[in-house]
Amino acid sequence: MINLSRTVTEGAPLVAEIERRSGQRVSACLQCGRCTSTCVAAHAFDFPPHRLMHMLQIGLVQEVLASRTAQLCLDCMTCSMRCPMKIDVAGVIETAKAVADEAGLRDTERDLRLFRREFLRNVRRHGRLHETSMLLRYNFATRKLTNDISLVPLILRKRKVHLFPPKVKNLRQMRRIFREINGDARPAPEPETGAGE
Amino acid sequence: MRIGVFVCQCGTNIAATVATDRVVEAARAMLGVIHAESIQYTCSDPGQRAIIDAIQQKDLTRVVMAGCSPRMHETTFRRAVQRGGMNPFMLEMVNIREHCSWIHPDIDQGTLKAIDLVRKGVARVRRQAPLSGSTVPVTRAALVIGGGVAGIQAALDMADAGIPVTLVEKGPTIGGNMARLDKTFPTLDCSSCILTPRMVEVKNHDNIKLIVNAEVDQVRGHIGSFEVDIRRKATCVIEQKCTGCMICQEKCPSRAPDEFNAGMGESKAISIAFPQAVPLVAGLRKEHCRQFVKGRCGVCQKVCPADAIDYEQEDEIVSGAFGAVVVATGYDLYDWTGSYPTYGMGRYPDVITSMQYERLLSASGPTGGHVRRPSDGAEPQQVVFISCIGSRDESVGRPQCCSVGCMYTAKQAILTKEHIPDSQSYIFYIDIRAAGKGYDEFSRRAQTEFGALYIRGRVGKIYPRGGKLIVMGTDTLAGEQVEIEADLVVLATGLTAARGAGELARKLNISYDGYEFFTEGHPKLKPVETNTGGVFLAGACQGPKDIPATVAQASAAAAKVIGLLSRGELETSPVVAAVDRNRCVGCFKCRDVCPYGAVEQEQLPGGRAVAHVIDSLCQGCGLCNVACPPSTISLKGYTDNQLIAEVVEVLR
Ligand SMILES: Cc1cc2nc3c(=O)[nH]c(=O)nc-3n(C[C@H](O)[C@H](O)[C@H](O)COP(=O)(O)OP(=O)(O)OC[C@H]3O[C@@H](n4cnc5c(N)ncnc54)[C@H](O)[C@@H]3O)c2cc1C
Ligand code: SF4
Ligand code: SF4
Repeated sequence: MINLSRTVTEGAPLVAEIERRSGQRVSACLQCGRCTSTCVAAHAFDFPPHRLMHMLQIGLVQEVLASRTAQLCLDCMTCSMRCPMKIDVAGVIETAKAVADEAGLRDTERDLRLFRREFLRNVRRHGRLHETSMLLRYNFATRKLTNDISLVPLILRKRKVHLFPPKVKNLRQMRRIFREINGDARPAPEPETGAGE
Repeated sequence: MRIGVFVCQCGTNIAATVATDRVVEAARAMLGVIHAESIQYTCSDPGQRAIIDAIQQKDLTRVVMAGCSPRMHETTFRRAVQRGGMNPFMLEMVNIREHCSWIHPDIDQGTLKAIDLVRKGVARVRRQAPLSGSTVPVTRAALVIGGGVAGIQAALDMADAGIPVTLVEKGPTIGGNMARLDKTFPTLDCSSCILTPRMVEVKNHDNIKLIVNAEVDQVRGHIGSFEVDIRRKATCVIEQKCTGCMICQEKCPSRAPDEFNAGMGESKAISIAFPQAVPLVAGLRKEHCRQFVKGRCGVCQKVCPADAIDYEQEDEIVSGAFGAVVVATGYDLYDWTGSYPTYGMGRYPDVITSMQYERLLSASGPTGGHVRRPSDGAEPQQVVFISCIGSRDESVGRPQCCSVGCMYTAKQAILTKEHIPDSQSYIFYIDIRAAGKGYDEFSRRAQTEFGALYIRGRVGKIYPRGGKLIVMGTDTLAGEQVEIEADLVVLATGLTAARGAGELARKLNISYDGYEFFTEGHPKLKPVETNTGGVFLAGACQGPKDIPATVAQASAAAAKVIGLLSRGELETSPVVAAVDRNRCVGCFKCRDVCPYGAVEQEQLPGGRAVAHVIDSLCQGCGLCNVACPPSTISLKGYTDNQLIAEVVEVLR
């Protein structure tokens, strides 16, 4: 049983925060389900994207923040391109993710969040992914130092990883991109006009 | 006798289950048939041309047209044979579509039946005689029944075209339900602002005679010349004298329910419905008046400065002659209190109808436009709207969509937010039906701009708890039960036909459906006509509809009337009864059964009295044919001879 008078009132500030930061309006969602129909990761979610939108509409924002859906979204933005109401669904999910991170929510997918964090830090530092340091730091952060250790000889043999970080020509520009993204709202995706499924 | 038989294929409608060439073959062998052919689409221009050519080349004198129902195209083909030079009544339509091809899956059986039907038609047309109607003069005046926006629009359109119009309204003022609305979707323009000027126009129009507090008592006659008795009910106020000063209402000691405000607030036994009423005349309701209930009071008579009160006033019958009638009796709100026990059946004061809510929103309403809930006058914060009350609900015997509920609920949610900015509206809905121009955009705005929360699901139960109403529902999109602690619940009650619609329909001899909405002549092609010539429909009396659709239909009905009355005279149907004077025994059984008063007594020179049919009144119903003991009276074109011949041929 959901007490709507309560969820709507109590959820309002966080929903408004998500709406403001994503620049989207969850009330515009028709519940047509097209986002879910096109989502490639929905099978791994605890509820599909259109349901996430509806949960925000009725104020179930805590449930959204703590969900696998918010964490596992690939950010591929297919949903955003297909939404008939031009809602940037992925943007909403991504914002929910960020809000959850900041709130320090005890999320179900802690490792995933750490992976994402280390991944982004690594790219910012080196301009592009340096797998070795990334994995070391990730294992350190998750306190599972021996994680995937058995794979090391194999990937070394196949020359999939490099001991030293890659060289990127314009590291400054890369850093600027990061700065801008962190400062500004997400740019809206180009709508895929008239596209079929 | 030179009969032509035309068998229509109607594309594949007929040809799929009737072998039309075999029917043609069989027809050629029938007595009197000298021409038979099959045509793909006979109603098309080349199809009609083929009939005309055959008539002229082969000198046909009678035609059998085997195809669709005569209700569909009889007029079309009568005109065609007439253009070919024949009397239009020498055509016989044989229905091999609705009565044959559409209902028989088997081509052999279908074909055999079609041949039987054609043989029957040929037998009948062989005994047909040319007929011609007479003409009757048309009374150039129109009657409009019902003074809602539909009646107002139709009356003004016709009056502007120079037709004298009488507008009869049951209530004390015109305006109908629209006069009660606050603002109107989808543009949110104020209802009174657009309606009151039209009401005043009616009042002041030289060509309009307005009779309020009145209903149609009796209708006689037919298209072109109806005679109608209108009963003006006694209101104890002399209309010509009353100045609308409202002193009587102020001083009257007897309280009475406020009907205009849909029961919100209170009125007096003598009152004027609302300050913009047209005409602005008081009326007294005897059942609430102390003078009539207790036998003493007389306050209004004493205080009236215009000396307009007359307790002795009696009902008055006003008669008029009209060439056409527009029915615009509108709708009443579905009474939900009897059928939704789990919503409290009217026991909870804060569960109200949509129309009551309109009055709470309206600046001219009982709260002066401040939304206050009835129980304690508090401003509601959590407002729940429930759609489809008495609509789309088989369990209460009302399967139809009210067609305006989704839209007016969106409107009311928007207005709620405008009145109470920190309120939250919830709308329980099944589907959001917003098909009109700009409508979907409007209901989306209710959600995106005004924060109305749409919850898909029907409410199961409402019960009071600590000053709140607990609304137990479901959110089918979340797949969960939900509950809301509401301050006010507004029920989007459906539209029913106006009380007494069925009775009026019987007086006018027009059809109505199981819900007493009047039936249009054809769902697509005759949306304003009825099955009775000269009677037209406008507005919600024909089916639930919103104001734009109502006004469109009203103007359409007016155009039909203007067209009809612009003709000086009308040709009557020649299919009327006729008496064989020599054999009439003068029992006048026919006169007794005739519902149209079309049979009169005729004195023959020898002194013998026989029946005589007045052509212009006879509607060709045939009742007298059955009643007549010596079978002396018979319907032209449907003589006993013809009917028996048909039966014999079918049974052969
Ligand atoms: C709550 C609510 C809100 C609405 N809001 C909107 C809106 O925002 N926009 C919109 O487009 N539509 C709206 N509608 C619909 C609108 O009310 C109708 O479309 C419109 O009123 C129909 O007009 P009408 O003239 O056919 O009928 P009515 O307004 O019902 O008028 C019929 C008239 O005929 C009279 N009458 C009845 N029987 C007889 C009789 N036997 N003899 C003589 N007179 C008789 C009645 O007294 C009445 O005056 C709303 C409806 C409801 C219930
Ligand atoms: S595609 Fe857009 S409108 Fe449709 S359910 Fe997803 S978010 Fe809502
Ligand atoms: S058909 Fe007969 S019963 Fe009917 S109106 Fe004519 S005369 Fe009367």
